[in-house]
Amino acid sequence: MKALFPRAGFAAGALLLFAAPFLTANPFYQRVAALTLLAAISASAWNVIGGYAGQVSFGHSVYFGIGAYAALLAYAKLGWPPIAGLPFGIVASFALSIVVGLPSFRLRGHYFSMATIAIAALAGILVTNWDFVGGAIGVMGPARARSFADLLFRSSLPYYAIFLCVLAILLLFTRLLQKSRMGFYLRAIGSDERVAQSLGVPVRRYKLYALLISGAFTSIAGTLYAVMVGFVDPNSGFGILISVNMVVMAALGGAGTLFGPLIGAAILVPLGEATNALWGARGIAYVAYGVIIMLLARFSPGGLAELGRFIVKGWRRRAA
Amino acid sequence: MLLEARGIVKTFGNVRAVDGADLAVEEGELVGLIGPNGAGKSTFFDCLAGNLAPEAGSIRFAGLESTRLSPDRHARLGLARTFQVPVVFAGMTVLENAMVGAFLRHESRARAAQKAAEALEFTGLAGQAEMPAAALGTAGRKRLGIARALATEPRLLLLDEALAGLTSSEIETAIGLLARIHARGITLLVVEHIMEVIHRLTRRVLVFHQGRVIAEGSPAEVTANPEVIRAYLGRRAKRGEA
Ligand SMILES: Nc1ncnc2c1ncn2[C@@H]1O[C@H](COP(=O)(O)OP(=O)(O)OP(=O)(O)O)[C@@H](O)[C@H]1O
Ligand SMILES: [Mg+2]
Repeated sequence: MKALFPRAGFAAGALLLFAAPFLTANPFYQRVAALTLLAAISASAWNVIGGYAGQVSFGHSVYFGIGAYAALLAYAKLGWPPIAGLPFGIVASFALSIVVGLPSFRLRGHYFSMATIAIAALAGILVTNWDFVGGAIGVMGPARARSFADLLFRSSLPYYAIFLCVLAILLLFTRLLQKSRMGFYLRAIGSDERVAQSLGVPVRRYKLYALLISGAFTSIAGTLYAVMVGFVDPNSGFGILISVNMVVMAALGGAGTLFGPLIGAAILVPLGEATNALWGARGIAYVAYGVIIMLLARFSPGGLAELGRFIVKGWRRRAA
Repeated sequence: MLLEARGIVKTFGNVRAVDGADLAVEEGELVGLIGPNGAGKSTFFDCLAGNLAPEAGSIRFAGLESTRLSPDRHARLGLARTFQVPVVFAGMTVLENAMVGAFLRHESRARAAQKAAEALEFTGLAGQAEMPAAALGTAGRKRLGIARALATEPRLLLLDEALAGLTSSEIETAIGLLARIHARGITLLVVEHIMEVIHRLTRRVLVFHQGRVIAEGSPAEVTANPEVIRAYLGRRAKRGEA
């Protein structure tokens, strides 16, 4: 029964996740559902380096922006369908990971986190002042679909389905990672680098692997965003809030857990969209973020996943 | 010679923590390293295991020039260590902690789990395998540190005060464990403050003082050595003044 329960619960959860937006005809809800999954992809990608390996990046928006710009530049410059920019985004993300990771992973401590902040700030300035990529105005996607490959749909449901597939692949990949030597090594690094290295973990190399994977999936999220929205500018591609979202969602649900980032996204995206629709102000969402971060730091640094485990344990103890 | 260090120097600002230390350990030996607080023993260990790069001197391990190799390269060559302050991977179970060590020589998860379970069995932690490592007390953490290191299948094990802070019955168990590790053919270099432990386990002891070896011999010889007595007493006298 105990062994059966998580599996059944998991299947039910997956089914619900798949069916949810099809149960409503309201386009607003459908759009929120699609955006939730997109945020879950970003946060889950962040989780590989920030959660499992414990190397907190505050600049993952750069990867998101790279993916988004790759898609729309592929259209604007080459006339390709935006989705064809995906491999370019991935290759660029690899290059960025190597440029950021090689020097900063040499050093222990917060150098990596600081480097990510600096890179994000630089990238924003660079893109804003670079006319070739649209400068402050940004880049547009195709106005109407030339072919199916443009992936231009009026409804959010097709996007929801695409995002769900990508998220499933990412989570499956993360699950395999978790069970493999690399997963153990990343968790060991996140917990205590010095001890990990003394047990034979090539710390620097594994951090770089984690960053390469994390960055590539984040750039995919950026590409998908650009495909859906059809427009990107420095703020929507490289804005600091994009990075903050990933960190807060993962932390809220539980960094370093498989479903934590998804849970965090499922709470925060609807919350943000609802406050936005009700009061037309993003400000309220920021206040909520602040409160959430403070509550987390005070009561449950492991996020909701830890809180959930704690409650289940207490409940079992009572039952026993 | 399995491990050989010559003229090792490591300074922190103007503190000469290790100041021209030499050491030679034969395969199969069990060598003790004693010395007053602040003598530089842990810093010396850090140099030997690749955690710190010495400013002068050279180290050879298993026939290789190892002075500048990283700690993970040392581990791969067969040098494992514990730390004076026992740290566990807090988010993992006891078994998973040991698996991190076992993965060094076994890529498959099943194989690593099996090797890790053996290390836990050997160190008497088999009963706690599924417990979160963070729930262990001091004695358990120290044992897990040893189990994790053993799981890397080392030739040489450096133990930094593996018995400090244990109760007398825990010390008995730990002495038995060290003897069994040695009997398995693993060479041991142990830093230890408790003289009784040194007397019972080792035949050769090095005495560290102000960053270098000031005496060497059997436990009985070094404890009778006037220079050693002075080193310990000098320390105590200084503390008395303060
Ligand atoms: N990271 C560091 N930074 C600055 N000084 C240090 C550092 N590590 C050690 N020291 C200093 O180097 C000297 C040797 O310290 P070390 O810890 O190696 O001695 P020890 O023999 O292991 O002592 P103990 O028996 O107390 O463990 C001490 O004076 C200590 O204060
Ligand atoms: Mg010490």
